Amino acid sequence: MSAFENTKCTCGHQNPTGTVLCESCGYPLDPEEESSDAPLEMRYDGIARRSQKSNPSPIDRVWNFFSSVKVAVRLIVITLIAAMIGTIFTQENAFISFDPSTYYEGKYGWIGKWYYKLGFSNTYESWWFIGLLVMIGTSLVICSLDRVLPLYRALNKQQIRKHEQFLTRQRTVYTGAAEGPEAAWTERLAAQLKRKRYKVHMENGALLAEKNRFSRWGPYVNHIGLIIFLLAVLLRTLPGWSIDNYVTVPEGQTVKVPETKYYIKNEKFTIDYYADAELPTELKGTARAKLYETQAVLYDCSADCDDPSKTPKLTEVTRHDIIVNDPLSYDGIKAYQFGFDDTPKLKAVNPVLIDKQTGKTYGPFKLDMRNPQLDYALGPYTLELRQSYMDFALNSDGQPTTKSREPNAPAFVFVLKGPGLDEKGEPYMYFPKQTDKERFSQDVINGKLAERFDLKVPSMDGVEFAPVETSLNIRYDRAMPYIWVGAGISMFGLLLGSYWQHRRIWLRLDNGRVTLGAHTNKNNYGMRAEVASALRGIGIVVEPKSLDNGRNKS
Amino acid sequence: MSLLDFSSDAFIVAFFLYCFGFLFYGVAALGKKWSKRSPEEHTKRWGRIAYFVALLGFIAHLTFFFTRWAGGGHIPTSNMYEFMSFLAMAIMAAFIIVDAIYRKPLLGLFTLPLVVIIVAYAAVFPQEVQPLIPALQSYWLKIHVTTAASGEAFFAVGFAAGLMYLLRTVDFTKKDEKSRREQRWVEFTLYVIIVIIAFIGSVFAFRGAGYEASFKQETVTIDDSGVENSTVNTVEYSLPPIFKPYNSQVVTIDSFLGIDKPLFETPHWMHGVDAARKLNTITWSIINGSILYGLLRLVLRRRIGAAIHPLMDGIDEDDIDEISYRAIAIGYPIFMLGALIFAMIWAYIAWSRFWGWDPKEVWALITWLYYTAYLHLRLSRGWHGSKSAWLAVIGFVVVMFTLIGVNLVLVGLHSYAGV
Amino acid sequence: MKSNRRLIQVLIFLGVLILGGYAIGHSLFASGGGLPGKGQTPPSFALLDMDGKTHRLEDYKGKALVINFWGTFCPGCVTETPDLEEQYKKHGDKPFEIVGINLSEDNLAISNFIKQYGVSYTMLQDNNRQVERAYGLKSYPTTFFVKPDGTIMDVFIGAMGKQDMDERITKLLAS
Repeated sequence: MSAFENTKCTCGHQNPTGTVLCESCGYPLDPEEESSDAPLEMRYDGIARRSQKSNPSPIDRVWNFFSSVKVAVRLIVITLIAAMIGTIFTQENAFISFDPSTYYEGKYGWIGKWYYKLGFSNTYESWWFIGLLVMIGTSLVICSLDRVLPLYRALNKQQIRKHEQFLTRQRTVYTGAAEGPEAAWTERLAAQLKRKRYKVHMENGALLAEKNRFSRWGPYVNHIGLIIFLLAVLLRTLPGWSIDNYVTVPEGQTVKVPETKYYIKNEKFTIDYYADAELPTELKGTARAKLYETQAVLYDCSADCDDPSKTPKLTEVTRHDIIVNDPLSYDGIKAYQFGFDDTPKLKAVNPVLIDKQTGKTYGPFKLDMRNPQLDYALGPYTLELRQSYMDFALNSDGQPTTKSREPNAPAFVFVLKGPGLDEKGEPYMYFPKQTDKERFSQDVINGKLAERFDLKVPSMDGVEFAPVETSLNIRYDRAMPYIWVGAGISMFGLLLGSYWQHRRIWLRLDNGRVTLGAHTNKNNYGMRAEVASALRGIGIVVEPKSLDNGRNKS
Repeated sequence: MSLLDFSSDAFIVAFFLYCFGFLFYGVAALGKKWSKRSPEEHTKRWGRIAYFVALLGFIAHLTFFFTRWAGGGHIPTSNMYEFMSFLAMAIMAAFIIVDAIYRKPLLGLFTLPLVVIIVAYAAVFPQEVQPLIPALQSYWLKIHVTTAASGEAFFAVGFAAGLMYLLRTVDFTKKDEKSRREQRWVEFTLYVIIVIIAFIGSVFAFRGAGYEASFKQETVTIDDSGVENSTVNTVEYSLPPIFKPYNSQVVTIDSFLGIDKPLFETPHWMHGVDAARKLNTITWSIINGSILYGLLRLVLRRRIGAAIHPLMDGIDEDDIDEISYRAIAIGYPIFMLGALIFAMIWAYIAWSRFWGWDPKEVWALITWLYYTAYLHLRLSRGWHGSKSAWLAVIGFVVVMFTLIGVNLVLVGLHSYAGV
Repeated sequence: MKSNRRLIQVLIFLGVLILGGYAIGHSLFASGGGLPGKGQTPPSFALLDMDGKTHRLEDYKGKALVINFWGTFCPGCVTETPDLEEQYKKHGDKPFEIVGINLSEDNLAISNFIKQYGVSYTMLQDNNRQVERAYGLKSYPTTFFVKPDGTIMDVFIGAMGKQDMDERITKLLAS
């Protein structure tokens, strides 16, 4: 579009800089448009965009940048490509515990190394991706503002009688002779159009029929919705607006919900699998989950909440059976079924001390895996617990150590005292699990003592396992209503703009000659059919196709 | 006969009716030169027959869908077989709607083969009704999947019309640089479609012949503490192994054309889920597709695009351009509603967050952004005609990648929608 | 009319700069993986020491504080403990504290460890990994250096060498 200075139309109307079609009569002002005979560029009704000025300042230049649809499309395409790249390898946030600086190179080689170095391993949280979204948001605001206001003004004060060229250069055009008196002819056509729900305006020998103008606002409503959505997303990052925590709750226990005053109890956790009869042949024998359910109770804490030396005072506020698609919800806080851990973990054993020489057994005594009692009296003998290892191993120096805090391979060091033993006592190492006992050769470690004594769990009754743990995702999201409102408005605008079309028909009669031009922002096919049908109503039979302004082959 | 068996039969009936519908559309387009009637009347008559047959197919498809729903106890959109057949059904519905607006018989000539291919592709996947895992037990399964698929179905019709536009307008006799480039790309698009047909054909041919091969693959992983763990899995092939799994031994192998051992080993760096089998399948598809393409070229004695182009004579290209755009414009809001908004609502209920940058979510967003760009380019930048048609064709590739590619190539939370 | 338009332009740009700046800044400074980063305030806690006395983060306000997450199962934690003890003794006369937070192990393991390494600084017991989770820990040991004003000066992930520790504590005491 070239710059043109003379903005005064032949009809005498003074137009703002950048106007393509005269605001009043519709005559093409743009020299390029004027010299052509192709259908007019009717976008935004040929109005000047707000920002178009003959002498832009730096602020105007930035404004014009964001006001351009071309730039907007480029931003969309760049975001799209960035989003694609982000799906090539698994993103960092999908892992719970790993070191990204070595993971990507280790797994994917040099490609992975560069993927990590260029920041694609965390694409969607990166500053440049957020920057792209901010730019799209800016473009949404400025593009819309720049177009909607002038468009509103243009549509609000439309001239009924348009320049002839304006009519003949629409995409739907009819020319012919009006039979009978002009006023009556126009009235008849107007009646037809009114039946098609057009609003008809007439003015000495000219007619303007219009319907569904509201559909023109659809895209802008949609953009407003998107802006609200983006702002709501931003709102979520403010401190205190959202909580995202995980708690693991063993069956029967109550734990504090971090960052809140609530406590949550897991009364019972249930996993159900489909029975073989319910499964198709190919899945028979596989464990296919049917239900994960935590029967949860939520408590409000009124006093002694964060002092671990006291018992908190709890009052029940709600209870709910949480399943995957049905979280517990209370006062904005939601608790979701996230996962569970039902791997058997040793909780306690009840071993007996056997005197191998006499065959006598002492005990049993209860040995908890976590925070066990330190002294045990067994008949004439005493056991003092000196050391415990949850996941026994030997370190590089050959010293006993623990690999983790999970009771995977528990080991206990006791000092055994009693008749026939050293006064200071003799150390005795005990592995409750039979496999560990063999793996770490308990009897060899204990040496001679192993020949006299044995610590042993007499039967499975003496073994206690830790209860199943459920893990719940605790969420609090104050911005959600705004997110839904934004999405709803955006969807509403999209529907308005997509499924209704703004249609206008202009008509002028010049000495018994009819010139009709029709414009729609979408669906010219439907426009032609409607004009043909209206004309048929007053006895003019035309094929819809013949109304197509055939000069539009580009 | 149980409801589910009846349902499977209805599926097969639908498939064949679609095939016949396609055939009759072919007669409508091809036969106008030899017919005694005037070309318009011939096209109209056979177009109507074809439409009627296709409609019967759609009714059979609906029967399949609802009987399977009744028999299986949940809406059949929960695995790849069910989803793909639902998508095909939605494409038919979209076609019926668009056709009702525009009444262009030859649109069926392009939509029906697409439906046939997708139905056949669906049948590649296991067809048993699988009971729902907890994550899918929600009424949002019905709402989200059906609306998303309906939106995508309109994009598919937009693709069919876009391809039709290109075959109508790309002049295969011209020799200038721009025309040659367009010819090459149209031909490539057709080649890709033939490769997909060859893929489905190969799977069914070898399945029909009962071909089997299996391997024992040893995978060595080093855990955090530096301990080497090796696991041995059995990998089953249903196509003769051109590539065997990396570091694997043959357990059993049926001989095919005298080949009774694998020709190559899959390189070690391909270690996705079932990477070796996928590589093998892709290789087979490309080989068979190329053979099929070569045969077609021999029979037609010219490029396929050049052979189809004359059939399109007399079709108004502006109308097809409009159809392609309208289909997309109708589908876009439905897609946004189903694949983004309903998806966010369900994700919020089931996974506690409305958006988590899961690959499937990202690809739905990519699809949406893509069609957003399409609409802006068309409405505000005046991209009509062949530019718009190319965008519609590429757009459908994006849609198919979102639906299938993400499950086959990438991993994520939607993995249950896979094979 | 004209100045009105300019005002709207300026207002919109201002809005974009503030909101966009906040969004981009948030993505830049939100340290990856949920660990509280430099300049931020560490999450508060209330934990028991070995004698059953409650200690809160707020109790240490006004003092230079080192929070060291450790466990007996983590070799790096074990090796840095004597160095921490040495630092603690060295700076005992200054407003300086070291708090070791054990990673939810049991009493016996902790008390044995304290005895074995002669630890004299405060040892607290986490329970059910709550504090560990609140701090977003992914690997052990992790050490936070908190200035007297309550903000984080530095975070060290992994076992510290003597020099790493000395440099940071010197800097912390200077702040």
